[in-house]
Amino acid sequence: MVNKPSNFAMLEALQHGMRNDPHMTMLYEYQRPVAAGPLGNVIDLYKEFGDLRIPDWGPIDEEWHVGGAAGIAMTGVRAIARVPSMCVTRCFELVFNQVGKLRHMTGGQVNMPLVIWQDAAGRNPGMAGQHADAGQEALYASIPGIKVVVPSNPYDAKGLLAAALQENDPVIIFHYPAIDGNPTDVPDDNYVVPIGEAAIRQEGTDLTIVGYGPAAVEIKRALPGLEEAGISAEVIDPRTVKPMPIDPIIESVRKTNRLLVVDHGHETLGTAAEIIARVAIAVPGAKFARSTFPDAPPPGAREMIAWMTPDAPKIVEAAKHMVA
Amino acid sequence: MPEFNETGPEKKGVSRRSFLQFAGVAATATAVVSSARVAMAGNGWTIGLEGVPDERALWMYRTMLRSRWWEEEMKEAFLAGKDGLYGAFHISIGEEACSAGVMAALNEDDYIASNHRGHSHLIAKGGDLSKMSAELFFKDSGYNKGFGGSMHITDVSKGILGMNGIIGPQYLFAAGAAYSAKVRGTKQVAVAFGGDGSVNNGWYYSGLRNAALYKLPMIAVVENNGYQMSMPQQRTNSLINLHQFGAGLDIAHESVNGMDVMAVYAVAKRAVERARNESLPTLIEAKTYRYYDHSGLAGAKPGVMGAFGLPYRSDAEVRAWIAEDPIPKLRRQLVANSILTEEKADEIEAEVRKEVTESIEFARNSAAPDAQAGLQHVFAGSSVSPSQFIV
Ligand SMILES: Cc1ncc(C[n+]2csc(CCOP(=O)(O)OP(=O)(O)O)c2C)c(N)n1
Repeated sequence: MVNKPSNFAMLEALQHGMRNDPHMTMLYEYQRPVAAGPLGNVIDLYKEFGDLRIPDWGPIDEEWHVGGAAGIAMTGVRAIARVPSMCVTRCFELVFNQVGKLRHMTGGQVNMPLVIWQDAAGRNPGMAGQHADAGQEALYASIPGIKVVVPSNPYDAKGLLAAALQENDPVIIFHYPAIDGNPTDVPDDNYVVPIGEAAIRQEGTDLTIVGYGPAAVEIKRALPGLEEAGISAEVIDPRTVKPMPIDPIIESVRKTNRLLVVDHGHETLGTAAEIIARVAIAVPGAKFARSTFPDAPPPGAREMIAWMTPDAPKIVEAAKHMVA
Repeated sequence: MPEFNETGPEKKGVSRRSFLQFAGVAATATAVVSSARVAMAGNGWTIGLEGVPDERALWMYRTMLRSRWWEEEMKEAFLAGKDGLYGAFHISIGEEACSAGVMAALNEDDYIASNHRGHSHLIAKGGDLSKMSAELFFKDSGYNKGFGGSMHITDVSKGILGMNGIIGPQYLFAAGAAYSAKVRGTKQVAVAFGGDGSVNNGWYYSGLRNAALYKLPMIAVVENNGYQMSMPQQRTNSLINLHQFGAGLDIAHESVNGMDVMAVYAVAKRAVERARNESLPTLIEAKTYRYYDHSGLAGAKPGVMGAFGLPYRSDAEVRAWIAEDPIPKLRRQLVANSILTEEKADEIEAEVRKEVTESIEFARNSAAPDAQAGLQHVFAGSSVSPSQFIV
């Protein structure tokens, strides 16, 4: 096994899926499904499956990619729509009023084997408002009928995509580039990380720290600082936002009696709010806190966005504050 | 006009000064032929200065130069690395005639809605170079106080409804601004600028369709530079001549050589008259070219204008378009028609370069924003809470 970039790892899952399903089709805009692996090996899905199952080029028309893929999926053909990172909510209406509702609204007739591969942005300096936002998975998780997964490393990215490709319900997978800052070994063979299964990254007794995707990467960066501060943290990465694997988090908080949720998304109605609400109902009397990006668009200047982003030093400070 | 993707004979690298130097040589030659206001036979699609007031022609010349040098110097600063510049940077060099030609036909209080490749639109609409430079440096003295960076520069006071990092809203915003002008009875005109890739987007259709329906004084300028990122335009759209889209909406539509500022001005003037006098929209397609890569500085070198060695287009193609550069073309025309002497032209260039250098100095010497300022401006007059900290 070797480390692989998440994009490459995900294309491996897609390649496996497309080899085993002669109709599986992908629509995309400019993120050509071509990537080089760590050993110089190249995956070129366009070369292998184009020009119909994977078109050569895509127009700037995200509604087409998602809406067209939904139409493909309604005919029973598994479809993948890959959407660029600054357009995370461009197709929200289609997902909200169509993709998420069709099975239920038609009395169970419509299968929707649709995977939205949502390339997400992240809190990068210099990109500003529209190109550095994050946390929109919380918006999608609020839609009935949509499953939402957010890997925090390349291993999970491949496994969660492979799992999504086996679903008959729509799944949106948020792919944040920050997860490549958390390199993992990735097997060549296909495997599945089950949707709805959390990972306990570290066991501990003083407090429970929860975060997924980029937040999980920051939590991992905070581990040495936590250790230095003498804090025994139990670290949980839910990996799936919906259906939320809440039980292991509840169990953990019953033990530690403290829950800190780190969220790269915004404060109001972000995923942190949902996790805390569920745990608070189950473990009354525990201590709860969240560190989130403020309710402001991400500013461009490095000084501002760095100060606003929940990062490893802030996580260590928050943990100290909670155990004090 | 050169074709996209053509492979022609390779010429020597074009230096950043040569777009003016070879202009000088050509201008002398042309001046011998005629000093009257004749159409230049540059490429058979270049139109002359007839009916264009001297000051307006000179304004177009200076405007294109200001945009050209500002972006060139900013590019140099990015490449030099010593200012630690970061963030998005979409260079519009090569497309200045589209901006200057359209803006020369507008009034100061008209509106423009721009896109990610909008520096030249803003400069032509009167954007302040110092505030633009400072915004690219993410300084507090920048247009957006360091909140926006290159892609979002806005000056509402000058009718600049902003550059935008998302493709498409400019067509809706311009249609809306034109609607507002009608509501207020002001006779203002609103112009949307977008690339060939932006026409594949539903908001483009909606903006134009509603401008047609409600008879709005709106103009859409599609700068067809042949590529949507690295995707050739003909592979993202079944239309090659994008202005033809206007036929289906039954609105005025035409294509123009975007490398000839006088040609753009002539078309824009007609469109502006149509908008102002008849309250009708126009779709203009300007065939143009960006000398640099889509975004950032791949293939760009210090002291050299243009990005070469990019995988999706040939160097010969880039050179063929640079040979059509609108700035030396206009300089030739101005000198041939005795509107400008070579000396005066050099003087203008020196003034522009000084202004640009000073704007970058201003940016360099400005203060960074306060780290905590990002909590402001979410709503008028209040700030949001720093939820990244536990209290
Ligand atoms: C809605 C949306 N989709 C995708 C993008 C990413 N993107 C930014 S610029 C660009 C290409 C634009 O091409 P074109 O409109 O031809 O303008 P040009 O860059 O050539 O000036 C793309 C796809 C975006 N900013 N907004």
